[in-house]
Formats: sequence, structure tokens, C-alpha cells
Amino acid sequence: MESWVENARMIVDSAAAIVPADGAIARVRAQRFQLPGFSRAVFAEMGAMGWLQLVLPEDQGGAGLGMRECTALVSALGRGLIPEPIIDALFAQRLLAGRAAPEIMDGRHVAVAGWQDRTDSLDFAGLSSASGRLSGVKRHVAGGAGADVFAVLGAEGVAIVPADADGLQIETAALQDGTFEATLTFRDVAAEWLPVDDADKALDEAVLSQSAYLLGLAERGIDMTLDYLRIRRQFGRPIGSFQALQHRATALKIELELCRATVQRTAARIDAGAPPSVRAAAVSRTKARAASLAFLMAREAVQMHGAIGITEEADIGLIVSGAIAAANRFGSARLHRGRHFSASERSAA
Amino acid sequence: MSASPSQTPVYPAADLPDFEAMSDDDFRGRVRRFVADAYPDIPRFVQRRLHWDEVKPWYMALSRAGWICPTWPREWGGMALGPGKHLVLIEEFERHGCARVHDIGPVMLGPLLMKYGTEAQKAFYLPRILSGEDIWAQGYSEPDAGSDLADVRTEAVRDGEEWVIDGQKTWTTLGMDANRIFILARTDKTVKKQAGISFLLVPMDAAGITVRPIRNLEGHAEFCEVFFDAVRVPADSLVGEENQGWAIAKALLGHERVFIGAPRLSGNALARLRHLAEARGVFGDPALRDRYTRLKMDVDDLADLFETYVDKLRGGEAIGPDVAMLKIFQSELYQRISEEMMELAGESAALREPEGGDPKLHAAGTWLAARPTTIFGGSTEVMRNMMARYVLDLPPG
Repeated sequence: MESWVENARMIVDSAAAIVPADGAIARVRAQRFQLPGFSRAVFAEMGAMGWLQLVLPEDQGGAGLGMRECTALVSALGRGLIPEPIIDALFAQRLLAGRAAPEIMDGRHVAVAGWQDRTDSLDFAGLSSASGRLSGVKRHVAGGAGADVFAVLGAEGVAIVPADADGLQIETAALQDGTFEATLTFRDVAAEWLPVDDADKALDEAVLSQSAYLLGLAERGIDMTLDYLRIRRQFGRPIGSFQALQHRATALKIELELCRATVQRTAARIDAGAPPSVRAAAVSRTKARAASLAFLMAREAVQMHGAIGITEEADIGLIVSGAIAAANRFGSARLHRGRHFSASERSAA
Repeated sequence: MSASPSQTPVYPAADLPDFEAMSDDDFRGRVRRFVADAYPDIPRFVQRRLHWDEVKPWYMALSRAGWICPTWPREWGGMALGPGKHLVLIEEFERHGCARVHDIGPVMLGPLLMKYGTEAQKAFYLPRILSGEDIWAQGYSEPDAGSDLADVRTEAVRDGEEWVIDGQKTWTTLGMDANRIFILARTDKTVKKQAGISFLLVPMDAAGITVRPIRNLEGHAEFCEVFFDAVRVPADSLVGEENQGWAIAKALLGHERVFIGAPRLSGNALARLRHLAEARGVFGDPALRDRYTRLKMDVDDLADLFETYVDKLRGGEAIGPDVAMLKIFQSELYQRISEEMMELAGESAALREPEGGDPKLHAAGTWLAARPTTIFGGSTEVMRNMMARYVLDLPPG
């Protein structure tokens, strides 16, 4: 057996420390709409387990693992609907590459990436930085309401900016799932750029990780919906015995397995060092599939559960709100279809 | 069987190298050279199935080289390819547009006889498949047993040392070309329908058999009806035990169940869609571009899922009922692509022959070719029923 398989299994097993084995999401429910929208203690625990440094090479203090292991872990966390900003934190660590204080590296302080210039765009080079002072806006920063520092990505590299830096304004907004995102506005904020080795690749890895999170989330929602089809009775029989619903359930399963295959094989492509255009085409295809899957799961979960699917009291309601909150992060399916087309034309040329 | 083998046959395969010991790339190169050297002067890249008089030279070229039964073991004259190498072989044949031969014998009956046949049946029938002496047809479907295949009515009654067969088969692929047919026949009407079916081998020239070709909308006769009127075959025409036929028919090789969901049909159709869009000068249209990209990503995602199953085959893992996903998605995707082609073709979608003689512009041909893929080899509806039951564990309907 290839070594990554065993690594991935061990890491996914370790996720049980954060995501209860019985699948209970009481902690997630209790956290809803409570600022900062996630638990700093749980975040620190994740750091203590070494997850934040998972894919960093060993000479940067990381575990030197690949995207196959990383996506396996993130997918397990998605299954548990965790509200901690793991993907934006992993992205931050990837950009910082071991060049930050120990408490940032190990998760005692929360660092997340501020990278996005515009909504539904992968542009990240828009900040102006005249004589080392940043001006501009970074949007949709997950965990921004509870972060200690931001790893701010720009054309010149990455800058470590503390949340209380002079000139930094943080506006938070509640999301559908009870977490919060932030808009960061920089006005002449003092900062020093650190060079970033291949920011495009780091961003592709984050996009793929978001896809893996959605895969786990959708799998959970589909499992819960199938359970419901087995037990819910109407007209004297379980509703899962009706062919119309059975065929829709198989459609969900097929979409789920297509998504799983693309996530796993795209992670393998990155680990094998795919060239940039091949990588971008595969990552965007994966994200488009994952976003579509999440929305499909949410629609079908609601329809098959009935109106309880859009209530706060039902667990499936939390899954649905999680899908709405997570599906378009790191770009919608529409954005990624366009990017996939351009990238595949480049790689075919 | 009219004769029993008196000596061990000599197969060309005995002199073949160990293909499994080669790298995939080396093997691929070897297949390419083989096609370049051995492919006869017959059409390539044909969407319809060729008839025996057209495709026979290719079958015989494969037979002479010992390449006609890729997955059979060496002791029976096969190439002894594992799933990975077999896939390479199929891919290269497709890439070069090689016509599909009459492969029911090599693909279905041969492996089935190796598993369930008597020594005498194996010794008689297998060499005749290898040599091209026997071309087999599959007699499963009936007018009243389509998706509900276990409801076969064709009856076989034992009369002394013979079976007497009465009934009708239909949708028999290239049955008019075959000299033998294997059928599912009812041998016990008193039990649950699956438990009363037997598997029989029948020569097509037996007295009482009538064949009627069925012409499709393109004017080709790829299927036929086969009528049995008091057809008598010897008792040893039975494969396996009496009333075991359903289990035998279901035991299709694991990797055939994977390969039937290969993304090639959809991938080829997608290339034709693009060719058509470019020929019409509309490939730059943003709305079309978006729809094309959705279809392209579906093809690529299917390829990822397909490769996941091929990896399982390579690793010797068992293939479960979930493999039906591949064929369900592939066939529906193929159809969606063909629908896009029809819209793009405009009025030319109506043409019987390809526009300007270019088969890649032939929208109607693709649309028609895509139709049966959701019907044959397990209809999409039946496969979804099976998945709901055996993969998703939903309650029976």
C-alpha cells in the first residue's frame, strides 16, 4: 500500500479529537452566531495536533505531507461541519512557510489568510503598497472576527498584519451557518513583505481544500437524508421505498462519488507536481463539482426531509446552512468553469 | 457438440511474450505497431457496427496473431492481459478507429464457459472462438422480457437426450452474422422466475430457427429477432446446472462492468460537438462556451471516477454493485452532448447522411447512437433501482 494511504488514515482517525465519532454537532450548534463564530480553544487544539503545518515541508517545520492527506483530513472536518476557519488558516500557514512566531505556527494565536480582492474572483494582487504601507481591501476573510493576525497576500508576497494594527479596519458579517467573515480595509498600514514561493499554487491548494470540505459536508448531508428516507413513513411505507425518491437518491450518490474521485485524483495530480495549467484546470473542475454538489445536496435534503430541513432545530438544517455558507467560498462554479476552460485550452496548446 | 477434441490445440498465443511484464508504455507502443501492421483495408471510425463480411479480415488478423481474446489465460489461447493492459489495448484500438469485432464469444461466452462449462464444452467451443470458426450471438431479451429479463418465456423442455426449445428472442446484436447463439430459457415454471431459467447453447442452423433483422432509423440492421420453433439440441448443450442460468448470466466479469462505463463515448462525442461548433463559427459564443465547459468537466470528472475503478481492478479489489454509477452517468452524459449537437446543427440535424461527408458533423448520427446506451446492458431505470436497493440500502419498493 502506498504510504500516503496509511498517513491519511491516521490523520483522519486523529480528526475524531475534534469531530465526535458519533457525529454529534451540538458544539457546532452552540457556536452559531456567537462571536467570533468559532472556538479558539478548538483551533489551538488543531494546531497542537500539527494540522496547521501538515503540508509544509519538514525544513519549514511542517510534516511534509501532501494534498492527498490534507484533503482527507479537511473532508473529515467538513463531515463534522466544524466552524473553525481551517482552510483559511492552512492557506495562511502555507504563505508564511514557517516564518512566523511560534504561537502563530502552533495555533495558540489564530492566523488566517486575507487574499481576496474582489467577490467571486481569484485575484489577490490588488493591494497597493507605497513605501511599505498597505492600502486597499481584502474580502471574505473566514474567521476574521477572531483572528489575531492576518497573512495578507499581495503581488509582492505575504505580509503579517496584526488584527490591532494601526489603519486596519475589520468589518464582520454573519454568514448563513452562524460563522462570521470579515472585510479588511487597509489605510497606510505598516507592513513588511515576505516573498512567497508560488502563490498561485498555494491558492490552488486552498481551492482544493475548500472542495474537500464541501465533499465531507455533502457526504454528511446525503447520509442523513438517506437515513431519513429509510425511517420516515408516509402512505404506510418508508418514503425511501418510492421509486421517484430512490432515483433521485442515486443521482445524489453519483454526484457525490464523482466529487470524491475528482478531489482525490486532483490532490494526487498536485502531489505529482502537475504543471500550472493542468493543475488550475483540475482544481477549478473540482471546485465547480464540489460547489454544485453542495447546493444539490442542500436542495434535495430539504425536499426529502420536508420543511424541517429549513429549521434551526434539525441537524439537517445546520448542514443546509453550512452548504450555503461554504459552497461559493474560493469561487463559484461559474467562476471555476471559466477558469477551467481557459486553463485547459492553455494546457492543450 | 459433434466432435470431441483429440489433441491439444496449438494456439499462436503460446509464442506471445508476457505482456503483463511490460510497462504500459511499452505495451502501448506494441499495440500501435500491431495496428499499423495488421489492420486490414476496412473502414475506421465507423459509428455503426460492421457486419461479419466487413469486419472478418480484422477478426482473422487478430486471431492469427493470438490477440482475439485479450483476457483469456494462456492455457486457453488468450493474451492473459490484466485489466490495466486490457484498457490500454482498448484505448489504442479506439484511438486508431479500429472496428469493433464480433466479440460476444471472446468477451462473454468464453469466460463464462471457463467458469461454468464442462471440460468437453471448453475443449470444443473455446478453440472455435479463437479461430473465428464460431461467431456467437447472445439470446437474452424477449418481446416481453426486456428490463425485466428474468421474465423470459422461451421454453426448453427435456425430451430424452434432447432439449426442445420454443419461443422468441429479440434485440439479438448481429444475430444474423452468428452461427451459434446462447440463450436463457425457462426450464421450470413452478418456481420463482429467476430460479427456473437455464443456459443453453444452440447452433443457428438448427431446424426450426428463423432470423428476422430489425432495421434501425438509420437503415442499418444491427439487431434481429430469433424465432425458435421446436428446435432440438442435445442434452449436453446445457451450461452449468439445470435452472442455474440466471446466476450464470449475471456473473459478467468485474472488469467488463467497469469498462462499459468508460468515458470514451462521451469524450468522442464532446470532440464532435466542438468540431461542429467551430465549423459553425459559434464556439466563441459565451453561452455555448459555458454549456460546453459543463459537459467537458462532466467528461473529465467521469474519467476520474472511471480511473478510480480501474485502480481497484489493478489492485485486485472486488467490484461492487456501485459500479453501475459509471454506466448510468456515462450514457446520460453521452445523450446530453448529443442533444447539444442537435441544437447546434440547426436544420442540418435533419440530414440522413453526414453534412459534407464529414461524419464528425453528423449530429443525428450521434443522437441516434446515444439512445440505446441507456437501454441496453441494463436500462438506466433498472440500474437505479438496483443501486437504491444494494448500494444505498433503501427499502424495497
